[in-house]
Formats: sequence, structure tokens, C-alpha cells
Amino acid sequence: MATFTVNGRSVTAAKNQKLLRFLRDELHLTGAKDGCSEGACGACTVLIDGEPCKACVPDTDLLEGRSILTIEGLTEWEQKVYTFAYGEAGAVQCGFCIPGMVLCSKALLDKNPDPTEPEIRYALRNNYCRCTGYVKIVAAVKLAGEILRTGVIPEKSADDWQLGSRVHRVDVEEKVLGTGFYPDDYYPDGMLYGGALRSKHPRARVLSIDTAAAKALPGVAAVLTAEDIPGENKIGHLKHDQYTLIPVGGLTHYLGDAIALIAAEDRDTLEKAKKLIKVEYEVLPAVHNPQEAAAPGAPKVFDEEQDNVCAHKHICRGDAAGAIARSKHVITHHFETPWTEHAFLEPECAVSFIDGDGDVFLYSTDQSAHQTLHECKLLLGNDKVKVQNALVGGGFGGKEDMTVQHFAALLTYVTRRPVKVKLSRAESLLVHPKRHRFEMDFTMGCDENGIIQGVKAQVISDTGAFASLGGPVLERACTHAAGPYQYQNFEIEGTAYYTNNPPAGAFRGFGVTQTCFVTETLLNMMADEVGITPWEIRYRNAIRPGGVLPNGQIVDESTGLVETLEAVKPYYDEAVAAGRPVGLACAMKNAGVGVGIPDTGRVKLVIENDQKVHIYSGASCIGQGLGTVLVQMVVTNTDLHRDDIVYERSNTWISPDSGTTSGSRQTLITGEACRRACEKFMEARAAGKTLADMVGDTYYGEYLAKTDPLGANVPNPVSHVAYGYATQLCELDPKTGRVARMVAAHDVGKAVNPLSCEGQIEGGVVMSMGYALREQYPIDGNCKPIEKYGSLGLFRAHELPEIVALVVDKPGLNVACGAIGIGEITSIPTAPAIADAYFRYDHERRYSLPLANTPYERKGH
Amino acid sequence: MAIKKRFPYKAAFVACNGSCRNACTYGCVGCGLCVLSCKFDAVHLNENGIAVVDEDKCIGCGACARACPQGIIRVHECANYIAVKCANRAKGVDARKQCEVSCIGCGICERTCTAGAIHVTDNRAIIDEALCLSCGMCAVKCPRHAIHDLRGILTR
Repeated sequence: MATFTVNGRSVTAAKNQKLLRFLRDELHLTGAKDGCSEGACGACTVLIDGEPCKACVPDTDLLEGRSILTIEGLTEWEQKVYTFAYGEAGAVQCGFCIPGMVLCSKALLDKNPDPTEPEIRYALRNNYCRCTGYVKIVAAVKLAGEILRTGVIPEKSADDWQLGSRVHRVDVEEKVLGTGFYPDDYYPDGMLYGGALRSKHPRARVLSIDTAAAKALPGVAAVLTAEDIPGENKIGHLKHDQYTLIPVGGLTHYLGDAIALIAAEDRDTLEKAKKLIKVEYEVLPAVHNPQEAAAPGAPKVFDEEQDNVCAHKHICRGDAAGAIARSKHVITHHFETPWTEHAFLEPECAVSFIDGDGDVFLYSTDQSAHQTLHECKLLLGNDKVKVQNALVGGGFGGKEDMTVQHFAALLTYVTRRPVKVKLSRAESLLVHPKRHRFEMDFTMGCDENGIIQGVKAQVISDTGAFASLGGPVLERACTHAAGPYQYQNFEIEGTAYYTNNPPAGAFRGFGVTQTCFVTETLLNMMADEVGITPWEIRYRNAIRPGGVLPNGQIVDESTGLVETLEAVKPYYDEAVAAGRPVGLACAMKNAGVGVGIPDTGRVKLVIENDQKVHIYSGASCIGQGLGTVLVQMVVTNTDLHRDDIVYERSNTWISPDSGTTSGSRQTLITGEACRRACEKFMEARAAGKTLADMVGDTYYGEYLAKTDPLGANVPNPVSHVAYGYATQLCELDPKTGRVARMVAAHDVGKAVNPLSCEGQIEGGVVMSMGYALREQYPIDGNCKPIEKYGSLGLFRAHELPEIVALVVDKPGLNVACGAIGIGEITSIPTAPAIADAYFRYDHERRYSLPLANTPYERKGH
Repeated sequence: MAIKKRFPYKAAFVACNGSCRNACTYGCVGCGLCVLSCKFDAVHLNENGIAVVDEDKCIGCGACARACPQGIIRVHECANYIAVKCANRAKGVDARKQCEVSCIGCGICERTCTAGAIHVTDNRAIIDEALCLSCGMCAVKCPRHAIHDLRGILTR
């Protein structure tokens, strides 16, 4: 027992527990976020006697007499200062790390009112952010310092909410002050804690499950096995091959497969109950990699499949082999890229209960509430489900699949009680689908001028224990392997194999991060062989408006690859002239699902009793800033002001399904649907209606992005409605061999909010600096991956170089006011640019990631 | 003497708690060579005769580290406030006998550390400060209280 003060109030913790548990579970001070409970992430940072501490570390008994400050304890003035500074700087994306960052800022500024940038970076360095790349958080701290010194909060630099305006995001305040709710912040009365007993072996036959002892444990409300599932056991995004629970007689596919679900009155009982479940296994040999998966007579990952091939793609246009044979310069090489963990700050969590209609109601952190609804309905075998997006603490593709939502729904369905299912960080690292590991063999042929004649390639990917989006990721890897260049001979064959490793699926870049590394590296090698610069070879081959991509698509007037090349040119020339090692790479990335798959955006504008226009769209804001985009869209396309508009988070009973937050599609697809809804709204306004007259009205907009399927029998298929283009540059310090500067120029069409665009670029670049230089997701011989968040190798605030984000605003697209999504492309050309800079530095060509022999390499850990 | 310190600030650190029962041959022997070597009056012997560093005065020049016959002083970044205050390389059983608060190389810290920053080498824990996230989980879990929060928050 210990007595201490929290935000000035004396409290007594009767039970010795981690401070974070006491703050959240007993005091319900949920501004301290639980991102890992292992001391790594920093989202739970509080101040103890003025010093930043991660609240998951100290036991309450240790804190006798201490004074603790949480984000809820800021003074009103401090609340205003930090909300303004973080909003003005554009420092808030998913927001999960922000309360911790704010408290680190306060601890610094209280002692050092005018810190230097290195001092700010040091003050933030024990806290991870996966969205922002820290650039704008550092700027926010600088600005907060200025405001605190002068005592005056300036005017917002932009407040007109038109497209192109650098307005503060709509959700800044709730994220800075910790008042916004992520699912884990809900504590409904009578809530049970749910969790899963997972397989002991990556591949084994379950012979029996004995739950009697667990069921008999006091405090256990339910223990469920496969036979308790009322609907379909197997769910999944496209292919239904993800087992909710492995039945007796069934095969386990990886260490994350759930055998039984438990709901208990508290966490300790839940953990005890897991240990009381007896499972008999027949342990079978596991499949560790695609080579083993493809071997003749290989053990099968799925009983129900013919072999271990999850997907196979063959894309062919022109005569690649012939063109390469006729080429003056030909380069062939083998490349490999690793698994990558999304490492979003907020672990998966869902809270469910039975609502007033008798439906299972879910608060969910996901990339599509409607997808969650669809899969939960499948599992429960009925339609009585509602899903509401809470705040989403980052996704990056890793929250597209069901991880906890279906468990919570099932446990509530059976117990009729509120249930929270939250993954521990180790479980999260194991369970949600990762970025695919790829092995790639490419051949490129060029003529004497460096003009690409043809590319022929073969790729294989490890899609792990279930399909997830392994097929589409492979497809996108293949379609985009050609690069943003104009040539007509391209052939690629790709295969995705099931293994007993953790599943792989969507990850920012969606397969293109892998093949772009190869194509761009080959182009850099080719430039040397031809005797021109890497910039020049790209300029010569770049796709230009009206040109034909290797997939046959004629690109439109919005195509801005050349503009991005020109934007980095001064930086490139300066580095070359100064003799500094510099590397370049380009990329293209589709916005929208494309390739003939129906891709629909839907938005409803509802005028409610408060005489405001409420924006409802079944499209998840996962931190990228969709709510802000839609509000700017409405202000620009109507006669309304910001104060007349309310952005509503996605749900499944009012918000119409607007597809998954994936494929950089929401700004374009949902943005256009929103613009169309605005058109209808303005027709009503033209008839002289005021908002008061319109209460109860709904204005609906829908946009179907029509594309042609792969292999469509037309000369110039439209594979995607829009592409974003980018050029990134990496400059090394010739003395230290460390990255001195990253320059990223991105063609985003019309930039809806340039501040948000820059934030996306900086965050994407830093994420892929990790992919290129340091991040690891090792999997051992038992198919068991890394368990600790702090060992992933994510970049920290003090380790980063200068990052220059150049937003190339080139409108031209005739939908969504010309806006093109930027979510993924920011991460795509980074790795090959860095790889080439290291080649210029030490003349050693690197063909796999993370790059070996750099100052960033982690050895022996 | 006013010396403008360069950021990130560095200071000497003595890896000894000074709770030895006169049997530890690895820790501070109170010889005072470090005190003599310091031109900035930043190193003193405390009431137990153990060297302690005043981080405000220390500029991290490393003279004391070079002077220390026991090799238990090193220069570190002050921002890394979680530190192992023990240099005992004896086997666990002996280390336990020699001092109240010795590192016995049990490895709890190594298993606890999220960052893979702490490793037991020669029977005592060593933190790689480049990897350390300064969370202090090792310090609160250390059964021997050999790992300290130099700010005095997580350990006293």
C-alpha cells in the first residue's frame, strides 16, 4: 500500500501494481496510453516529481510520497499552449504517443525554457512515434517553448479550411489532452477481460482440449472452443482461411492460432485460466520458408489445400525476353527484403457489449468498421452486430485483419456481458499480418542511351499462416515492379507461399516497397554501366503525361514524376558538387484498389438537430487525417464554415461503407464521394434552404472508381484511376557514413492539407529508413518471432537526419478536386535511395535489406 | 571554473555502490586517485570513502577514468540515467557474500529489457547506452538493487 498524489490529489493504492494499471484501471485516467507495458514505447509517460517516467515501470508501493502528473493534470494554460503548438506544427497523427510526448515536452520546458533542437530531440528520445518521423513534434516543442516564454498564443497560421490550407487537424485537442478514446479507454460497467490461449506449436494436430479446470476457476465467465462458434469458424478479408479457433482434429498454422477463448472478471484470472486449459497436440514438422513450402512432398500448411501456394501471378506485356536479348546493357541479380513489423503504437483492442437493440456492439480499432462488421457477422452467424470506430492508434496495413474484434464479439455474444480483448505487445507482434518477406530475381535490359528496353522478373513471397491480403500484395508487387517508366516489354511471375510463420498481409506500400527496391537499384547500376547519372537515367525514362506505362495504361495530365525529379535536382547537384555520397530513387503508387475490383466511396451529409452538417462515411481515420480532409472538402465545395461541420467517426449503422483504409484510397475515393454529396447539398441550398430548414435531411454522395481488370482485352487498360509519383534522395555524411539528409519530393495532385502531406512524407521516410537500415523481425527455428517492441530497431527522435519534405502540388485529376492519396508512396523509394547512397560511399553494392555494413547495423543483438 | 559543456552532456560514472563488506576486490577502494586527477573538483569520496561524481561540475574529460586503478569509472551521457552501479565480476554466490547490493549476474535484467540493451558479461550486467530506452524496468526488477535511476525517481 502506498499514498501519493496524482495531479495534486492524494490517492492510496491499496494493491501493489504497476502505476499504469492503477492510473487506468482504478482512477480511469486514460490519457496515459498502454502501448506495450514493457517500458519501450513511452505512450504511458507521466511525470514523477517532474521527471518523465514510463508508468508501466514502477510499482505503486515504490511511490510513497511522490507527486505524479498525468496529461489530465496540465493547467488550463498548458492545455491551450500544447494543443495550439501541436496543432499548428502538424504534430498529431494517430495521437497515441502524443500525451506522452506532451509530458516529455513539459518536463523539458519546465527546466529549460529555450531548448536547442538537439536538446528537444534528446528529451523525446525514449518515446517512440511511428507516424510523424518526429519532425513536427520537435517543431511543436519549439513552438510551445516560444509561447510559454512570451505568454501569448498567436493566431493560427491558417484557418479558412479551404483545400490547400494548412489547418490544424480536427482531432488535435482530444489527442493532445488524452480525452479522445481509443477502444482500450472504455471501461463499461461489469466488463470482463477476454483473451486467447494460443497454440504451443506452429504446426501440430490438436488431439483434445480440456477446459473443465479453467471453467471451474472462480472468476471465469466463459471458456469457448471452436464448437461454441455459432457461425463460420474460418473468416478472412478475401479468402476465408483464418481460423478463429482451431477445432479438435484441426491443424495449427502458426504460434498465434487460438485454441480457446476465455472471459474472466480480471486480468490475473484470465492468465490463470489459460494455464488450466489442457491441450494435447501431435507435433508435426513445420514449414519455415517458401523453399520448404515449395519442395516436393512438403508438409501442407492447410489440410484443405492441394499445396502451399497461396497465390500465383503472371503479368506479361510485349516481349521482355526478346527485348532484353537485343539490349546493349543487361543486368541480372537476386535481391531479398525482410519481414517488417508495423509497430503501430496502439496494440489491437476491442470492447464489446450488448446494446439497447440487443445487438453486439463493438468499439474497434481497425481500418474498416464495415469489414469488422462483415467478419463478425460471418462468425456469429447473424446480423445483430454494430461496429463503431474508436480512435485508431496507427494501422499502416496491420489493422486490416481481425485480431481481437471477432473474439470480443463472440465472448459478448455468449456471456451477454461487456468484454475487452486487448493484445499484449508480444501477442501483437505475433498475430497481426506483417510485411511480406520477398526474394526476387530481376533482369533489366537498356539501350546505349540508358533507355529501358525490357524487364523480366520472378518473385516469391512468404505469406505465412493464412492468406490475409497475400494475393493482392503479390499482385501489386508484380504490377508496380516495372516502375514509373515508359517501356513496353515487361514480364513477371510471382508466387506467394503459405508457411507456418506469422501471417503476412498489408503494409504501407503493399508489395511495392519490395519490388521498387529492386527496380530502382537495377536502374542505379544501369546508370553506372551506361555512364550517365542516376538522375539522368530516370529523367530519360520517366513516364510523362500521355505516355504509356508498362501495364499499358495511358497516364493523364496529373502525372508529375518529372516534377518530383526536378524538385530534388538542386539538392542532388549540390551534393554531387560537394563530393558527398548521394543516392536517388523514384516510385509510383496507385491511389485506389484498381484492377477492375469495385472500389466505391460513400459519404452522407446529415443535418442534425444542432443545425450542423455531420459527415458520415464508413471510412476509418487511422491517423492519416481523413476527418480533416473531408471537412476541408465540405468547406471548399459548399458555402459552409468550419463551425457548421461535425466529422463523425466511422460506424456501420449510419455511415455508408466506403471501403478499407488501404491502397492510399480514402482521400481520392471517399474525397470524391464527399464532393458529390456536397453538390447535392448545394442544389438544396440554391433552392434557398437554410440549415434550420434542412434539419433531418441527408445528402448522399457515391463514387465508383471504375478500372479494368488485369489482363483485360483492351489495348490500354486503366489499371488504376490515379497514381502518385515520388523521387527521394539520400545524402550521407562522408566522414561518419551516417545519413545527413533525406529529401522527399512527392506529387500528390492537389494537396488538401500541405501540413498533413508533409507529416505523411516525414513519417513515411523515417519508417522506411528503419526498413532500409535497421529494423528487424527475426523468426526463430520454431517459427517464433521477436517478442519485444524495444528491440525492433525503430528510429528514435535523436537519431534522425534532416528530412526535407517537398510537396509537389500538380492538379489535373478530374476527381476529388484533384487530390491523390499519399499514404503509402512516402515509404516506397526510401530504401533504394539509401542503398545507392551507401554504394556511392563505399562502392559496395547491397542487394538485401536491412543494408549491411552501415553505422546503423545492430550487431550481436 | 566555468566550462561551456557541449551537448549531449557527458560525465564520469563510478560503477560501485560502496556497500561492500570488505571482501569485494572489484569495486572502489577509496584510493582517491580520481579525486586528485580531477581539475574541476567534480569527484569526491563520500562518507563511506567511495568516489562519487558531481555531474554539474564534471565535463566528462575522462581523467578520473584513466586514473582509476580498478577500472570502474567510465564516461557516459548524462541523459542515460539508468546505470548499473556495480563492477563485481565474482560468481553470483561470492558476489552476494561480498556486498549488500552487488550484481550477481542473475540475468533478470537481461530477460526484462525490451531493447536488448543490457547483457551479463563476466558475471555482471552492462548496459549498452546506445540502445537503452531509460525505462528503468531493469532497475525496478533487480533483486539486488544494483541498478540505479540516477535521478532518484525509480530507485532511491
